[in-house]
Amino acid sequence: MTGTTLLLRQIHPTQVHNGFASSYNFRPTDTDAGLMSVYDGDMISAENAWKHRTNTLGKQSIGVVGLLVEECTAEGLSARPDPEPFPEHAVVDFNAVEQKAWRAKSKKLHAKAYVRGWLFQSPPTI
Amino acid sequence: MTTEPFLKPRLTGARFDSGAIPLEVLADFSVLAEMIVEVAKWKYREENPNRKRIPRGFMDGITLNLTGIETGSAIPVISIVVTTAAALFPSDQQTYFEDARQAIVEAVGAAEHNRKITDHLPQNLLGYFDRFGRNLMDGEAIELSYRNDRPPVRLTKETRRKLVLASSVEEFTEETSIHGLVHEFNQRAKTFELTRPDGTILRNIPVEAPHYDTVLEASNRFRQKACVRVSGVGRFDRNSRLHEIEKVEHVTILDPLDIEVRIDELKLLGTGWLDGKGVPPAHEGLDWLVDSFDEYFPDDIRLPFLFPTPDGNMLAEWSLKSWAPSLEIDLSTKRGIWHVLNLDTDEENQQDLDLTQLQDWQWLSSEIRTLGGEVE
Repeated sequence: MTGTTLLLRQIHPTQVHNGFASSYNFRPTDTDAGLMSVYDGDMISAENAWKHRTNTLGKQSIGVVGLLVEECTAEGLSARPDPEPFPEHAVVDFNAVEQKAWRAKSKKLHAKAYVRGWLFQSPPTI
Repeated sequence: MTTEPFLKPRLTGARFDSGAIPLEVLADFSVLAEMIVEVAKWKYREENPNRKRIPRGFMDGITLNLTGIETGSAIPVISIVVTTAAALFPSDQQTYFEDARQAIVEAVGAAEHNRKITDHLPQNLLGYFDRFGRNLMDGEAIELSYRNDRPPVRLTKETRRKLVLASSVEEFTEETSIHGLVHEFNQRAKTFELTRPDGTILRNIPVEAPHYDTVLEASNRFRQKACVRVSGVGRFDRNSRLHEIEKVEHVTILDPLDIEVRIDELKLLGTGWLDGKGVPPAHEGLDWLVDSFDEYFPDDIRLPFLFPTPDGNMLAEWSLKSWAPSLEIDLSTKRGIWHVLNLDTDEENQQDLDLTQLQDWQWLSSEIRTLGGEVE
């Protein structure tokens, strides 16, 4: 994993409204111990990450967006491999910043991912 | 000719506060007049069981007219007009009309107080309530009284439904408003089909000329998920399930960010909606949010993107060039955390809001306006 590694973030269908993905996607939830799960883009493509998420893990994803490792570190957030759940798994660690700052950090990450756009979207169902 | 006040129904609810009566509600009173006549005939047959038919001219020389509207709330004055030249026994006829009035009022009272409705009217005549009171909305009532010394009875959506369900009809109709996507428009049959947010489909919805273009446009924009609101008369089964739109009165293509449409989608979330973790937002809180946006959020400000949060609350976000504003909404306390970040300068601002207060909503809309959030 290098600074230019693309970190792939899965987006839950409820977190997209009229094509706009929520900034809430870019911060850990209360049960994530300050770690935001991503896929290591050096090890898996966006489409295969989506297939893994939905087919192998049986979880929901409407698509995949991406952030560079260096975009996270610019916000004071480190990223590292975390292969325990599965080999391509990685995390962005929010624990180095105060929780009250997560809101702003998530908006900054969201803006970066928004410019990059969808890397993969689930096929339309209708 | 004599004219006497016969019934003074008092209309209560927001639409009637100014003392005015919407024209569509007048149609209900036309049905009431029909019902009074038919109940009067039934009363005649009850008292004259040996008569095979109603005497010819039973209705001659006697009519029910709207002769005025009293103020205070909206009180239409329905008078009985008797033309003595035409009526042979006007006083007898009038008695049956008065008995009919009493029976109708008592039937409504029975529905209101959960007593046996058919002690007052037979099932077939209760079918008139399928049309009388159909235009009432939530929170509205028609108060009826046949004697000044008794409190009025209240016909509401709920009591009307009980009356219809006590009748012999298998279904009932009601003014309704639904939304969904037009996935098919049959221009030859002049009908369309609507996919509702829960995936159910309403077929053969009749469409008349004034609405063709709107329905056609919505149909063409199906893949862009152009949602329409359809208002009209719906036909419901005895379990209050809508299974047909009988008449369409209005069709409107909605804002893509329409709050009610989005909230209806989110009402479908169940426990564990976020891959096993999410708490579904409480419907009561979601209804409050719809009402609050409806009441307090100006039309000239962009609507937000709305998202559920894993703890059962809501997040509203706007996308405004360099600004990223958001409002985290606690549905139980009805408080919000406003946060805005300038993505270029990192300038940040946060404010706690009491979302039960008009001034806090005004502050919110003023902030969004300042950030460039006016509708273009």
